[in-house]
Amino acid sequence: MSYSVTEPSQRQKWFAGILVVGYALITILPLVWIIATSFKSPADAIAYPPKTFFTPTVEGYVNVFTTRTRLTEEQLKAVGEPQTWYERLVRKDGLVISGPSRFAERFTNSVIIGFGSTVLCIVLGTAAAYAFSRFKVPLKDDLLFFILSTRMMPPIAVAIPIFLMFRSLGLNDTHAGMILLYTAVNLSLSVWLLKGFIDEIPVEYEEAALIDGYTRFQAFYKVVLPQAATGIASTAIFCLIFAWNEYAFAVLLTSGNAQTAPPFIPTIIGVSGQDWPAVAAGATLFLVPVMVFTILLRKHLLRGITFGAVRK
Amino acid sequence: MLKSTVDRVAGATPHALAKRVRGLSDRSLAWLFVAPSIVLLLAVNIFPLIWTVRLSFTNFRVNRPNAEVQFIGLKNYLSILSDKDIWLTMQATAHFLIWTIVLQVLIGFSLAYLINKKFRGNDLWTTIIVLPMMLSPAVVGNFWTFLYQPQIGLFNYAVGFLTGADPSSFSMIGDVSLAPWAIIIVDTWMWTPFVMLICLAGLRSIPSSIYEAAECDRASKWRQFWTITIPLVLPFLMLAVLFRGIENFKMFDLVVQLTGGGPGSITELTSINLKREAFEKWRTGYASAYAVILFVTVFGLASIYVKALNKVKQR
Amino acid sequence: MTRFFNGLLHLRRGAWEMLASALIAAGVFMLMQPFALALYSWSFVITLLGTVMFIIVSHFPE
Repeated sequence: MSYSVTEPSQRQKWFAGILVVGYALITILPLVWIIATSFKSPADAIAYPPKTFFTPTVEGYVNVFTTRTRLTEEQLKAVGEPQTWYERLVRKDGLVISGPSRFAERFTNSVIIGFGSTVLCIVLGTAAAYAFSRFKVPLKDDLLFFILSTRMMPPIAVAIPIFLMFRSLGLNDTHAGMILLYTAVNLSLSVWLLKGFIDEIPVEYEEAALIDGYTRFQAFYKVVLPQAATGIASTAIFCLIFAWNEYAFAVLLTSGNAQTAPPFIPTIIGVSGQDWPAVAAGATLFLVPVMVFTILLRKHLLRGITFGAVRK
Repeated sequence: MLKSTVDRVAGATPHALAKRVRGLSDRSLAWLFVAPSIVLLLAVNIFPLIWTVRLSFTNFRVNRPNAEVQFIGLKNYLSILSDKDIWLTMQATAHFLIWTIVLQVLIGFSLAYLINKKFRGNDLWTTIIVLPMMLSPAVVGNFWTFLYQPQIGLFNYAVGFLTGADPSSFSMIGDVSLAPWAIIIVDTWMWTPFVMLICLAGLRSIPSSIYEAAECDRASKWRQFWTITIPLVLPFLMLAVLFRGIENFKMFDLVVQLTGGGPGSITELTSINLKREAFEKWRTGYASAYAVILFVTVFGLASIYVKALNKVKQR
Repeated sequence: MTRFFNGLLHLRRGAWEMLASALIAAGVFMLMQPFALALYSWSFVITLLGTVMFIIVSHFPE
């Protein structure tokens, strides 16, 4: 049937298209602004009226990775000519690089904790999801609700006893502690999502494998796992994004050693006052990977945000 | 390599025998698979929860480890539930909650309705609209303080450009009357796509045959909208509202970075207030009772949420 | 309406869950309303009651 009464007319489509595109352009503007600001010079960043066109510079990126000090004319002469391109860049403002900032360290922490908790989450989550999907687990509904409810809890409220517990176990401000915590937080998501994905794999495949002489366990990792690969991959990206973005636990339970990037980025300040291009550069480096992953995930986004309840 | 040998033997033997070789029945495998997750959640979630409940009946303070800990019964609960400041905090949360939900539902549903007209390129634009949702709220909140700067901020400039007001004449996060709206605007910007996606799923789940039947009955478009579209999307909308409600009831990261609860305590939402009690004033017992109250509220809302979830699942 | 009360009488899940949800909703409203301090003070009891009730009645038969 090529003609349908429910198909919107061409005029309606144009009207809808223009409105949606308009909204999309407005909504994307702050993100574009972050990225643009990261390439501005500090003077351009705080210019009035806000500058749309400017000469791009990577000063913000240099600043976010380094700490700098201001020297007097004589001191500058004593230091000698700048050797590298980034030293020349900060020398223009009469500054010298005094060392690396903690940004790279915090970023690495985010990567370690993010990936560590994701791997654990997927391993535990896949096993649990398979069991919930295929076996008669006693009190199944209650367990699933219990698992989901752990995610709903306000992080600050949970943080009080966890702070005390971690302190007595020596897990405060350690990578292991944060990995464990983020695994527990994201486990509900991975169990619910993966259960949805595994539910969709026909049981017949496994039954055929069992008849062929596979054990349950073999059927699980030789038949079900490969079939669920896409689901596992998208679940992993979700867990990674949530661990990556997490702020409340990170700010309360970490300070020096295991601090991740979200609590660190707002504390970036320059030599004289707030260094917006540096903050923007840090934010850009931090946010752009998530944007890329979101675009990759777009087909599964809805599942991820509704714990696998809404499929399409 | 022992394992693979066992595997080979198991693979070559008939099913019933293989199970004995591996020693794993379905039942024990089920337990083996579920147990680690449950144990982890018990250790990291339930054990601390029980601890919180216990602490909530004491006057324990973390910063005074040597002070004697006394059981003071329901005193913490009674003082929280008669505290006018906490009540005001709850009202600030309610103001934030109600307006974000209203705005997000209106804008999100309209967008979903428009996208469902299936104009060319709607997939691409949907993806662009969705982007803010997945970003780190703390980093986004921090950056919005830049957009909200009087004079140099993009937001103030845009408002000035559109209304003719002087961009340096108002400060979204410094002004008592504007700050509550500053957090509502950012939350709406960030989470409208969430409501939109769920509404879109709801709209797409309506079979076009229903509209065709209505068209045969000469029902007007307006009537079709109110008697078909809205009732069928409603379960999805409920789901989105409940989820946003729970999330915004415990809102912390975005607002802490944006306003820090200020100016004064006008945007001090419940979680921020709790953080002050627990981690700045270190009134651990008192804050535990506060936390239990939030727990129970969220737990209650979560059970309604799961009910809504199952309703949508059946479709 | 009659079906709802019948459900309550026969310990059916649907009707009781509805009642528990209503209690929770009332508790949450009382917690955050700006009208009376007394309502705020009693909100927690109501929410707790509703939540406990919800957990129990969700095990009733359909």
